[in-house]
Amino acid sequence: MERGKGLTFVGDSRIKKYDKPKLNRDYSEFPGRTEEFYPDFLLKEWITGAVFLIGFLCLTVAHPAPLERVADPTDTGYIPLPDWYFLFLYQILKYTYASGPFNVIGAVVIPGIAVGALLLAPWLDNNKERHWKKRPVAAATMLLACGLIFYTTWESVAYHDWETQDAQGQIVFSNLDTEDPVFDDLIRTNCTSCHGGELTGGSGPNLVTAELSEEAVNSFVTNGSGEMPAFEGQLTEDQIQAISEYVANLEEVPRDDAQNTGDEGE
Amino acid sequence: MLNRIYDWIDDRMDITPIWRDVADHEVPEHVNPAYHFSAFVYCFGGLTFFIVVIQIISGMFLTMYYVPDIVNAWESVYYLQNEVAAGVIVRGMHHWGASLVVVMIFLHTLRVFFTGAYKAPRELNWVVGVLLFLVILGLAFTGYLLPWDMKALFATRVGLDIAASVPFIGDWIQTLLAGDEEIIGAQTLARFFAIHVFFLPAALFVLMAVHFIMIRRQGIAGPL
Amino acid sequence: MSQKVTRRQFLNYSLMGVGSFMVAGMVLPMGRFAVDPLFQSDAEGSMIQTSISADDITEEPTQVDFSFIQQDGWYESEVTDFAWVYRDGDEIIALSPVCKHLGCTVSWATDDANPERFYCPCHNGLYEKNGNNVPGTPPTGPLDQYEVGVSDGYLTIGQIFPNELV
Repeated sequence: MERGKGLTFVGDSRIKKYDKPKLNRDYSEFPGRTEEFYPDFLLKEWITGAVFLIGFLCLTVAHPAPLERVADPTDTGYIPLPDWYFLFLYQILKYTYASGPFNVIGAVVIPGIAVGALLLAPWLDNNKERHWKKRPVAAATMLLACGLIFYTTWESVAYHDWETQDAQGQIVFSNLDTEDPVFDDLIRTNCTSCHGGELTGGSGPNLVTAELSEEAVNSFVTNGSGEMPAFEGQLTEDQIQAISEYVANLEEVPRDDAQNTGDEGE
Repeated sequence: MLNRIYDWIDDRMDITPIWRDVADHEVPEHVNPAYHFSAFVYCFGGLTFFIVVIQIISGMFLTMYYVPDIVNAWESVYYLQNEVAAGVIVRGMHHWGASLVVVMIFLHTLRVFFTGAYKAPRELNWVVGVLLFLVILGLAFTGYLLPWDMKALFATRVGLDIAASVPFIGDWIQTLLAGDEEIIGAQTLARFFAIHVFFLPAALFVLMAVHFIMIRRQGIAGPL
Repeated sequence: MSQKVTRRQFLNYSLMGVGSFMVAGMVLPMGRFAVDPLFQSDAEGSMIQTSISADDITEEPTQVDFSFIQQDGWYESEVTDFAWVYRDGDEIIALSPVCKHLGCTVSWATDDANPERFYCPCHNGLYEKNGNNVPGTPPTGPLDQYEVGVSDGYLTIGQIFPNELV
């Protein structure tokens, strides 16, 4: 098979040479060494793919996909965060001129302009030059946009309280019984906003794995400790005692005995 | 034997030109990483396609265990990850692949942009590529809810509230996506599942086919 | 211009007509099916009893839980929600804790720099005690209010409605 200059059809296919100037089917116009897609070039692509796959499989084995505990729409203390590729948008909505009365700017105008400009790039940047050095405006705009995306994503990641989220989201099988009136009436109202919806920790420590005695819990609740406010006066002694017994009794249990997840569906 | 089967089919269907057009097209030197190592940037598109294939296949297998129902969704994901052999790998592929496909499509977009490959006559293929990018982001957004764990639910709540802040039609968009005006629950999960597994993949297949056909029609952009 | 319709034109119009009918026949029922949530009317809710005595409510906003049966399509569940409740003169005020920015949950006086305000941890949104959003922070409007009542000395909570205090 003849290759290089003078090629007027592709391989032994019966597709004829095109006369349309915008379509270049004749690869001989490119300088240097060309090679057939199959098998020469495909092998190189497959080697690239195989190398990638090795790294990818190592990643999946080394880092199992995270799974937090089952969604509980009523656990309002949880600090939400979008997946990382939407963080830049989430972060933009934090800035003064992209939120509040200007929320439309952050939520619609900025993303709309970005997507619109990307879609229309061939017509916005319509001179013949292809090399990025010869079209400084287009290249600078793209670099600026990428810089902003990186910066806002970084800001958002740096601001987020990952440890608290991990604590709030972790799967802990415990004997915590959400139907218990002590939990429903007292703990849900007073404790879960800091210690997490299932008391596995949030801005406050995990109460399930901490092995606390009744007296210790009682003292913490009555007098407070560090960040924790004192509940003396807000709750009666009986209520504090009930909470203390409940919390002191909490422990991790095997999945099959867990009362906090499973067939609830609440 | 195989040759005779091939000839028998080719006599009746004339299939040779179909695949020879793909097989015999010449790949120029400037995109070949064997000649210029820096040409690896031209592999980003192919790698994006490779990860999309991984996503499609691993997703198909995940639905063998997954149920889109708020009572059982989390249980089914926990089960397939922890109890099913290789579940951690299959779910890991789909989870990490989702992030990687966004990274790769981003890099591929930058490569096409900075080499000016989107210029005439390839404007339409660029537009199709941007639409593919949006479909991939839609798949990422809808897929994130499906495990029905804490971060999924609350990330979706935030995402839907961003959609709701669109003027005039924001509330409609939110209701149509969530299936209810206020609740993010059973109907939301079912809808997101349908969108993630049927609607967006259908759009993805069509756009990818158009993307590839256009590359074959127009050939690869020349060297800078 | 000739009014004469050629055979080919006639066939093309017929194809378009029949084609439109086939598309409409398939898409209309499916489209209506898909957008049904837009046309669902809200069920009228009744007042929900809480376990908080109306006399115990002070001027300091406190978190009051209430449970109700929530109908989510085919799925019925008992849901616990809460409101920030305080007394303002003779009136009892119940504010929704859902931030008007992106739906995170606000809490009272958890930001050390703003001890007398509601604070949203997601984007540092602030609200005054009456629910008014502090200008310069991300929220776009004041916190919603709940209808409140007193039954047998206990607080009851009803429908949510836009803030009327500001």
